[in-house]
Amino acid sequence: MDKESFVRRIFALIGLVLLQVLFLNRICLFGYVTPLFYIWMIVRFDSSMKRSGILLWAFFLGLIIDLFSGTPGLNAASATLLAMFQPGIVKLFVPLDRHDVLVPSSASMGGRPFAGYLLLMAALHHTVYFILRSIPLGDWTVLVLKIVFSTLLTFVLMLVTEHVSRGSGSKR
Amino acid sequence: MRSLLDFLVRHSYVFLFILLEILSLVLLFGFNDRQKEAFWTSANSMSGTLFEWRSGVDGFFMLRKENAQLVEENTRLRNLLSAIADSQYVDLERSLSTEGVVAARVIDNSVRKDDNYITINKGRRDGIEPGMGVYCADGVVGVIMVSGRRYSVVMPILNGNTSISCKKKGSDSFGFLEWSGGDPYVAQLRDMPYHSAVEIGDTIVTTGFSSVFRENVPVGTVASVERSKNGYTLKVQVNLAVDLSDLSWVYINTQTADDEIEELYKEILN
Repeated sequence: MDKESFVRRIFALIGLVLLQVLFLNRICLFGYVTPLFYIWMIVRFDSSMKRSGILLWAFFLGLIIDLFSGTPGLNAASATLLAMFQPGIVKLFVPLDRHDVLVPSSASMGGRPFAGYLLLMAALHHTVYFILRSIPLGDWTVLVLKIVFSTLLTFVLMLVTEHVSRGSGSKR
Repeated sequence: MRSLLDFLVRHSYVFLFILLEILSLVLLFGFNDRQKEAFWTSANSMSGTLFEWRSGVDGFFMLRKENAQLVEENTRLRNLLSAIADSQYVDLERSLSTEGVVAARVIDNSVRKDDNYITINKGRRDGIEPGMGVYCADGVVGVIMVSGRRYSVVMPILNGNTSISCKKKGSDSFGFLEWSGGDPYVAQLRDMPYHSAVEIGDTIVTTGFSSVFRENVPVGTVASVERSKNGYTLKVQVNLAVDLSDLSWVYINTQTADDEIEELYKEILN
């Protein structure tokens, strides 16, 4: 990885960590729903990155969030797991014969596949996150509610971010 | 052999993945005693600094309200002072309690989770130790859980692990104040003896049994009373005196006459 994209990635990491721990962690709608928007960084990993690089970035991103949230290992574990499956999940939503370098976005993948990709990524991450968080597993209904609604909230936040960053909206 | 090596190198990320996951899970489940690991709570100085900065921004917008609260408390204290000056006798109990109080600012707080925590900007450096009582002008807030060098985490009433011994003001029968989630303005007083005449509207205060709080610090008022399932005790719903969702300053009881009691107990036990 060249120096410039490394520096850019460091800034993205700092920005996402600050956004998550200063503002988003405070959101707790109905006692259930907390958006975990920081996975945006993992969502955006491009297909030219080394698998081990993806894992390390995600691990440290999660670990730093943990440091500020009083949850040792929780975000690190779920972010690393998401990073392990990210390249595979991207492939689910692009044509098989595509081999160019791909930064996942609605422009590169198309609006609908990208939305599907975001939803699956958020669902996978939040499922792992909330299961780990609720061990020992007590109330299943509450757990499912947490997963479903937090996933939807993170998903919507990511869609909005994508629309804003593109300037003009692309249809889902 | 060579192809095996090739395979291992090509799939080295799988091993990295397993390693990182093991590391995370050890962090997550390894620290059974992690409450004492101040580093992994918001009592570490990095998060402390960050949250302090944020609360500085928040605080700016709440100055007017804070001022009003301070004036109110000032008035109350002045009244107390004049009452003491007027009295002709020395209150023995009051003169015994050599109370050291530290004021701290709340820099992070939650009330909507299952287990809530409050972070304050005072730590071991200021004489704060785990187990000390935290209160504000209106009454009891919670107990210090961990203290880092400059910051501490408070386990407030709104945490499933908190239990504070409380009684009806003016009576001696006591119970334990606990919180089982949900409404951040109501907690439950358990194990009150059935014969204790608790009625709706009664004031609930601390017992002063533990060295955590002095006697008679306000906790709340009784909202409802029902007989518990075993029939021998009462289950009392208490409207909390303190609005924990709206805290900006708290006081910590750093020194109480009860330290002496604790030392005596230790002597007896040894």
